[in-house]
Amino acid sequence: MPFPSGLALHSMYRYDSFDQQFVEERVAHFRAQTQRYLAGELSDDAFLQLRLRNGLYIQRLAPMLRVAVPYGTLSSRQLRMLAHVSRHYDRGYAHLSTRQNMQFNWPQLAEVPDILADLATVQMHAIQTSGNCIRNVTTDEFAGVAADEAVDPRPYCELIRQWSTSHPEFDWLPRKFKIALSGAAADRAAVNVHDIGITARRQGGEVVFDILAGGGLGRTPAIGALIREALPARHLLTYIEAIMRVYNRYGRRDNKHRARIKILVRAMTAEGFKARVDEEWGHLRGSPSTLSEEAIERMVAHFKPPPHPERKGAAETLAAQRLQVPAFNRWVRRNVSPHKQAGYAVAVLSTKETGTPPGDVSDRQMEAVADWADAYGFGEVRISHQQNFVLPDVGQDQLYALWRAACTERLGAANRGLATDIICCPGGDYCSLANAKSIPVAEALQRQLEDYDYLHDLGELDLNISGCMNACGHHHVGHIGILGVDKKGREFYQVSIGGHSGADASIGQIMGPSFSRAEVPGVISGILDVYLAYRIEDESFLHCFRRIGMAPFKERAYAKAA
Amino acid sequence: MPRLLRTNGELAPPPELLDADQWTPESGLGVKLPVDAEVDERWLAAPLLGIDFPAFNDGRGLSLAVLLRTRHGYAGELIAVGAVHEELLHYMRRCGFNGFVLNKTEAPPAATLHPHSDYYQASAVEPRPAHRRMEVRPSTSSRTSPTPSS
Repeated sequence: MPFPSGLALHSMYRYDSFDQQFVEERVAHFRAQTQRYLAGELSDDAFLQLRLRNGLYIQRLAPMLRVAVPYGTLSSRQLRMLAHVSRHYDRGYAHLSTRQNMQFNWPQLAEVPDILADLATVQMHAIQTSGNCIRNVTTDEFAGVAADEAVDPRPYCELIRQWSTSHPEFDWLPRKFKIALSGAAADRAAVNVHDIGITARRQGGEVVFDILAGGGLGRTPAIGALIREALPARHLLTYIEAIMRVYNRYGRRDNKHRARIKILVRAMTAEGFKARVDEEWGHLRGSPSTLSEEAIERMVAHFKPPPHPERKGAAETLAAQRLQVPAFNRWVRRNVSPHKQAGYAVAVLSTKETGTPPGDVSDRQMEAVADWADAYGFGEVRISHQQNFVLPDVGQDQLYALWRAACTERLGAANRGLATDIICCPGGDYCSLANAKSIPVAEALQRQLEDYDYLHDLGELDLNISGCMNACGHHHVGHIGILGVDKKGREFYQVSIGGHSGADASIGQIMGPSFSRAEVPGVISGILDVYLAYRIEDESFLHCFRRIGMAPFKERAYAKAA
Repeated sequence: MPRLLRTNGELAPPPELLDADQWTPESGLGVKLPVDAEVDERWLAAPLLGIDFPAFNDGRGLSLAVLLRTRHGYAGELIAVGAVHEELLHYMRRCGFNGFVLNKTEAPPAATLHPHSDYYQASAVEPRPAHRRMEVRPSTSSRTSPTPSS
């Protein structure tokens, strides 16, 4: 397949011979482990731990392979390969995860090494996408192009990715470990609810980091505690190393529900934990893992923006098209964000068309998105933690053509950030951990909320659904969160209100006893009715809830359910 | 029959170790340390330290080994005992272990200890991370890779 020559310009990390050799050796290593397992030379228990470190779960119906999309960034060539994998080894579709990765639901175990070998040809892998180790680092899906960005987080994400890959000391932690890094005014990476959350900013021209530790979702949701302010960039890896060592040594291993770092931070108190980390860092500070200026500059150079050709009259063209076509205008208003460069825009392609499980994309859609990334950008695609695609460099005068094409591929919904842009885990339809199904709940709610005027009248509303306490659907930080629970073998749903994952993050409050699946749509519309009745002018759902509290919502929900 | 596998490929009978609370420097034996031990400077004089893994996926023993090697300068023999799985030997080797007691009579293939020719980060056996050792690495970004349809 020919690729436009401009592709070499895209602003992404490009493997050198070291990186390429590393992933190829990893494929060979995993192939040998798989063969030993299939030959009966490795126990189920040992292979479980090894395959998890390569993203391979054994699910309800088949293995599930989670491929790493480092900090959510893909080239069009990589996306075409993922489409190929879905078609050749799977059933022609894949799932965008809430940690910016891509999951395949139906691969054959014996073929997984071949999938990994194919992925290695496009500089991809599945290393550490599951298991009790440092997972894929996540960031702002608008990194590098957002108008409100102070520091491009991607070079630092890549430095963390490399440092954490097959780390000899930190691949066997008490529990999984998630790091998020953001460098913009708005926090689009949910740094408050990660094991380590990092905010990059500039201080006197220098890049510095504020470090949070002990945030997380799951069974006991927590907002991270600020343990270090204004850490100079060169100390990034040694400081993380200090945190990891304290956690690896003192985190609980006797109970997997008490094993995340948030439990350790709470047990030690944030001050006690910080003191312990600082003591450890005192030994590591200045060690050879300290980043040299050259190492940082070399990494930053990978992400240098490509030259953006001037787009004369683009803004005027866009303005005229918005006036002519109201549906396009609505899409631009919802799904398009400002770009650093004049004449350009950032476009979100929603996977949340009613009737498609949130985040599921077909091989054909993946190839279409790859083609648009080449035609309307520099060959780059992002995956957002809201499970949508992002095209980061669309000319403002190209948005109309992109929207027209996206509509034909069911990727043109004008619902970014609205109630139908539901974050949803695969749930009981696929996942063996789930207590309840989540996809049918999402679909029922999308059908109910589909009415355009109603949906837009509701405004910004994060509706998040998880099929179990592991909280892959981020229900704790949904303005409305729905959690699947098991009651004596039957599926029920607990509803929470008031969660938020932005800079002023909060954990949702549980409304009360859970509901049957049939009751959920009625309960949600009752909550929305209360909001519409109580809101003052343009007040958002979240602000309204923070002002009036739980009581009116609760009263309505249980009056109705009774 | 358990055997001690050394990182140089030698096989030997497993050495005798004394629990930390029974060990004295005069015993002439090695010390068996639990994975959650805080380092006692007296142990550094022992010819042999063994870290006892309660489960093969318990990473505390890895941090303890790194501390013994990098912070306390322990230069003697450091071996892993207890629940040691051969698929994890490569992590252990890089954390400073130079022997492992395995329930096997034959040495596993060399690739078990060296699945990769090099690593990104510093370790107990390589104090400098790759970015320090290779300040200029050749780029292969122009390399042509097979495409899905080719």
